[in-house]
Amino acid sequence: MTFADQAVIAIENTRLFEEVQARNRDLTALGEVGRAVSSTLELKVVLKTIVERAVELSGTDGGSIFYFREDIGRFELGETTGLDEEVIARFRKLDIAAGETGLGEAIESGKPLQMADITKRSSNPLRDAAIEAGLRAALIVPLLSAETPLGALVLQRRQPGDFPPAIVTLMQSFADQSAIALENARLFDEIAQKSRELEIASQHKSQFVANMSHELRTPLAAVLGYAELLQEGIYGAMPEKSLPILTRIRSNGKHLLGLINTVLDISKIEAGQFKLNLTEYALGSMVETVMSATESLAATKKLAFKTEVAEGLPIGLGDEQRLTQVLLNLVGNAIKFTDAGEVRITVGAANGQFSLSVSDTGPGIPAEECEHIFEKFRQLDSSNTRAKGGTGLGLAIAREIVEMHGGRLWVESTLGRGSKFHMELPVRALIAAGAA
Amino acid sequence: MSQRILVVEDQEDLRAILRDFLSASGYVVIEAADGVESVAKAVSERPDLVLMDIQLPVLDGYDATRQIKALPGFTAIPIIAVSSFAMKGDEERARAAGCDDYVTKPYSPVQLLRIIRGFLGDKA
Repeated sequence: MTFADQAVIAIENTRLFEEVQARNRDLTALGEVGRAVSSTLELKVVLKTIVERAVELSGTDGGSIFYFREDIGRFELGETTGLDEEVIARFRKLDIAAGETGLGEAIESGKPLQMADITKRSSNPLRDAAIEAGLRAALIVPLLSAETPLGALVLQRRQPGDFPPAIVTLMQSFADQSAIALENARLFDEIAQKSRELEIASQHKSQFVANMSHELRTPLAAVLGYAELLQEGIYGAMPEKSLPILTRIRSNGKHLLGLINTVLDISKIEAGQFKLNLTEYALGSMVETVMSATESLAATKKLAFKTEVAEGLPIGLGDEQRLTQVLLNLVGNAIKFTDAGEVRITVGAANGQFSLSVSDTGPGIPAEECEHIFEKFRQLDSSNTRAKGGTGLGLAIAREIVEMHGGRLWVESTLGRGSKFHMELPVRALIAAGAA
Repeated sequence: MSQRILVVEDQEDLRAILRDFLSASGYVVIEAADGVESVAKAVSERPDLVLMDIQLPVLDGYDATRQIKALPGFTAIPIIAVSSFAMKGDEERARAAGCDDYVTKPYSPVQLLRIIRGFLGDKA
């Protein structure tokens, strides 16, 4: 092998080495850009990274992203690099109509557009401003997302001349990444906007339900009031046979009122208007109240009704009316779903917490349903709803009330053996929890 | 002489129920359908007790109560607020306005009578 041969090989090796290095550099930059696109939804950060790397790799003097406003057919300057503040300010003020510029031409063709010497192009505001800023050559790569033009990546150079094909190809990849970033940002904004709209719609709905439940109570109050007056004989003596009917009208009316109040409660919770009214209460007498309200129901079903209340319970602080509602719900459910056996209330206190449980010998709840029953509108199955009544909201409200007191409500159950609802409640509910 | 109760209520049905029931219970019932009318009737009819709805057109129950309580010789006239709000703070607002008691709708007329008798005695 002659010296000349060796020299040729050495030169070829050097060239190959440089090519590999350049390729590596391109790949590293593309990787960096790809990471920026996938790791951040901050559009400006992504586009800034893209423009900076593009200028660095192409060895040009400046670069910018122009956004295309399709609705008005105009371009606006976005992120830039390598341009003077003064030049940027001038570019921002320009009214860049798509039709007249290279930007418009590139978007129209969907392909990169080279301008080896911009002075040879016909005058338009952007070209004139670029020449004034000392720029002579430009490479414009359109940013397309599924054929929709989003804008353009523009590289600017002070020296006139062509851009090497390798650079054009690389810039095409950068443009693709920019388009993805723009599309991601647009989708993200769209989703954020949709979720804001949903949030508002949901609040309107809750407010509507709250207002509606409130409105439903007024005529119902009239129905119940008149029925009571009829029964009291205010309008004269009623025929004997009509008296039990009036009782039925009133009990159905009260039931309807209970359902409306439940819906009102849940809509108040959803609208964030549900507030606790904290007062001191005696848990023992609360249990007695609930027991006297429900024992006739238990007796009708021939269920044993037992309470075990520990001696010397501390005085509690909480919303007495709401806690009574919770206990009534738990005991009411226990009686409703139990056909034989017993319902038992157990109450104790330790370490600043009341612990209360309501157990029954009913059909039990499948393990996978033990959490779901506390969700709104959830009952074990719809045939139960028909047979046992109820809105499927009671337990959801009960859990909300207990949690607002800083407590917990959960259930343990064995199918075929019965269920045991547990409540753990701070003896003194946190003032913050109840503050209106 | 029968004792006189001013019933302030904008819903005609609810007013009729109270009128029929309280008349049957031996009271003379005076009616007002809004806050402004309630103040005027209080002045002209000198009731012994006022049942004041809170949600009222023109002038609400809180303001009407304040104005009635400020009339000469009316400080001791009991005013019972009747509200369909069951929100926390409503009772405090009613009492701050000068109401002597607070009842939430829907109420049973019989229960209401018990409260009225608590203020007026059982002589009606």
